[in-house]
Amino acid sequence: MLSMLKYLIVQLDDTSTSFCHYVNDRKTPKLIPLEILRRAIIWSMKENLMVQFIYPDYELPEEYKKAIDEIDHVDIISSNNKDISLTKVADIIIFNSINDTGGYKLNENKVYVIRGTFNEIISNKDIIPDILPKATRLNLSITDIPALTPQIETEYAEFLDSLGEKVKEEYGKNHPVQINALTDRIMLDEMNNCNAGFEHITLSPDGNFYICPAFYLNDIQEGICGNLNEGVKIKNENLFKLTYAPICRECDAYQCNRCIWLNQLQTLEVNTPGMQQCVTSHLERNASMKLLAKIRELGEFMPGKEIPEIDSLDPFVKVIKNKY
Amino acid sequence: MSKIFEPSSSWKSGLAKTVTFIVTKDCQLACKYCYLVGKNEKERMTWEVAKKAIDYILDNEKQFKEESVIWDFIGGEPFLEIDLIDKICDYLKIEMYRRDHHWFDSYRFNFSTNGINYDSDKVQKFIAKNREHLSIGITIDGTKKKHDLNRIWKGEKPEKGSYEDVVRNIPLWLKQFPGGGTKVTISSADISYIKESVLHLYSLGIHEVNINVVFEDVWKEGDDLLFEEQLIELADEIIDKDLYKENTCSFFAEFIGKPLDPEKDNQNWCGAGKMLAVDSAGNFYPCTRFAGYSLREKRPLIIGNITDGIDHNKLRPFLTLDRLTQSPQKCIDCEVASGCAWCQGENYDAAQTSTIYQRSIAICKMHKARVRANNYYWNKLYRKLDKEEEREEFEKNEVESNNPIC
Repeated sequence: MLSMLKYLIVQLDDTSTSFCHYVNDRKTPKLIPLEILRRAIIWSMKENLMVQFIYPDYELPEEYKKAIDEIDHVDIISSNNKDISLTKVADIIIFNSINDTGGYKLNENKVYVIRGTFNEIISNKDIIPDILPKATRLNLSITDIPALTPQIETEYAEFLDSLGEKVKEEYGKNHPVQINALTDRIMLDEMNNCNAGFEHITLSPDGNFYICPAFYLNDIQEGICGNLNEGVKIKNENLFKLTYAPICRECDAYQCNRCIWLNQLQTLEVNTPGMQQCVTSHLERNASMKLLAKIRELGEFMPGKEIPEIDSLDPFVKVIKNKY
Repeated sequence: MSKIFEPSSSWKSGLAKTVTFIVTKDCQLACKYCYLVGKNEKERMTWEVAKKAIDYILDNEKQFKEESVIWDFIGGEPFLEIDLIDKICDYLKIEMYRRDHHWFDSYRFNFSTNGINYDSDKVQKFIAKNREHLSIGITIDGTKKKHDLNRIWKGEKPEKGSYEDVVRNIPLWLKQFPGGGTKVTISSADISYIKESVLHLYSLGIHEVNINVVFEDVWKEGDDLLFEEQLIELADEIIDKDLYKENTCSFFAEFIGKPLDPEKDNQNWCGAGKMLAVDSAGNFYPCTRFAGYSLREKRPLIIGNITDGIDHNKLRPFLTLDRLTQSPQKCIDCEVASGCAWCQGENYDAAQTSTIYQRSIAICKMHKARVRANNYYWNKLYRKLDKEEEREEFEKNEVESNNPIC
């Protein structure tokens, strides 16, 4: 049994939507072989894994739909998905452009993800407040975190503060909307990271398991961690755990994705985040701290919960200070 | 009282930034144990690359806050590029002075050479010009037999050892650098020559022998026992003949072979990442061991270049690395862990994935053999000092040595 793993992500097609920081540029469909899909479903049942399917925008063949229906699962689709019946039942809807939110009919039972660059998100700062009253849970996913500059830092902090005001208004209307970048840190008492390579892995259309879809889509061979025939083989698996991450284990930006793929991309190590990922998460952490104070202006809220002031946006500084 | 010879601590140990110029990937020799698997005659540093590297480093003084600097030159054989080196050193001196850089008058030029062209006019002129700021180590492996076993001339058939070409320069080197130490590397085939080699080096006037086993996974069944036997015999010779009064051998050090505290002793052994190396292509590395010519299995680990500068994100794993995070449980629990070294580059090269966070344990049984011999050495030495009523005096004066030999 795979005691660590909790769920399996299935990238159904090469063109399946991204739902996170990575960008999927692939335009040519390559559907996962039906036989592999069926075997993956049976394997997941035996291993007691929850399955998350990531869909392409085109409608899947009937036999694929039938196979997927055999297991309890989560459907992740883009807002441009052409399968109308799937759109109705899907659990997580991805907006690959913030402008796609315009006119989209939101459902309070679904989770929505808005993906975009810092500039796209910040320059469309008036759009998100319009969505808040209709949403229960909204995730912001920045697609160019390594591009963070001091100027963007300032603008993103202002954006989060301004969004915090709108969230406070929703709380005032007894509508405690969740936004990952602002409210998660308030609710958390410990790290709640992505945990790719530890709690979940991804099955890709080539039949291999990968640490996450980003490793598959970026052809990172070291991201391959087995297949259905040989089982899961995660090399240096300890390095995916928080206790083996010298910076992250000292950090209290609990809402941070701690994106393994971004770590690999920026520092060449899966256990070490780049400065930009840390700073982005700390801007969000500090905005959460301010939001907590704002919500408390409305009345008692989570007594005993405190997010302390910190003097650096990068926990690397603290680790180095303690070390040398 | 009898005095025990102590190894010299390296210049500004822990306070100096080491900047290494890989001036050439060529060497006259083809040593069998050499970790440089990609040596070649083509990759020679140009003046333009060297100058740009220097300008980047000196332009960015705030990034390099260490109080001193060691400008290190490595190859291949660095003295093959003595003209370039001379030009680099002149430029460094002028620029550090012109910029009123905090490293001016707090610098060293450092060389590890095979010693073959040490007596050439150009090298000697360079030494005369820079004598006050110079450290040079010549590598000689011991007896002619041991040295010639590995340190052979490149392209010679039949094999031709280099001992005679090196040993003739030792007197000149020791005259210019009294107290100069040498670095000896031990691989599987050399074990049975350890004792005679160390004693031979002492007899040549080299009083400080820094010796270590290679980190690579080359060890055969029984090597540890043979190694222990050699070290015991060496210990007997050093102690019985009072050689410890004037000589040192890094195999024997009191701090070796103790358990390590998980919190207090959690530092990384290796200095990779605190150092900086630049090659002929103008790429920066955390240490020369991460350059392509040093790696068997992995891609070069480049952390920047002379045009774009250092990518500080790529240094974060090195600077936050600690002993526990990279060690398997058996090393964490090891009762004789102190003094067991590792090379971050070899760890990277030998790891299952492209990580510096997986410690190679290929030297485990060799370290344990060394610990047994080291225990024997100190027990025997202290007993002798007891009998001579000099132990108390020695313990009062002893200096703790903790110098890793890289």
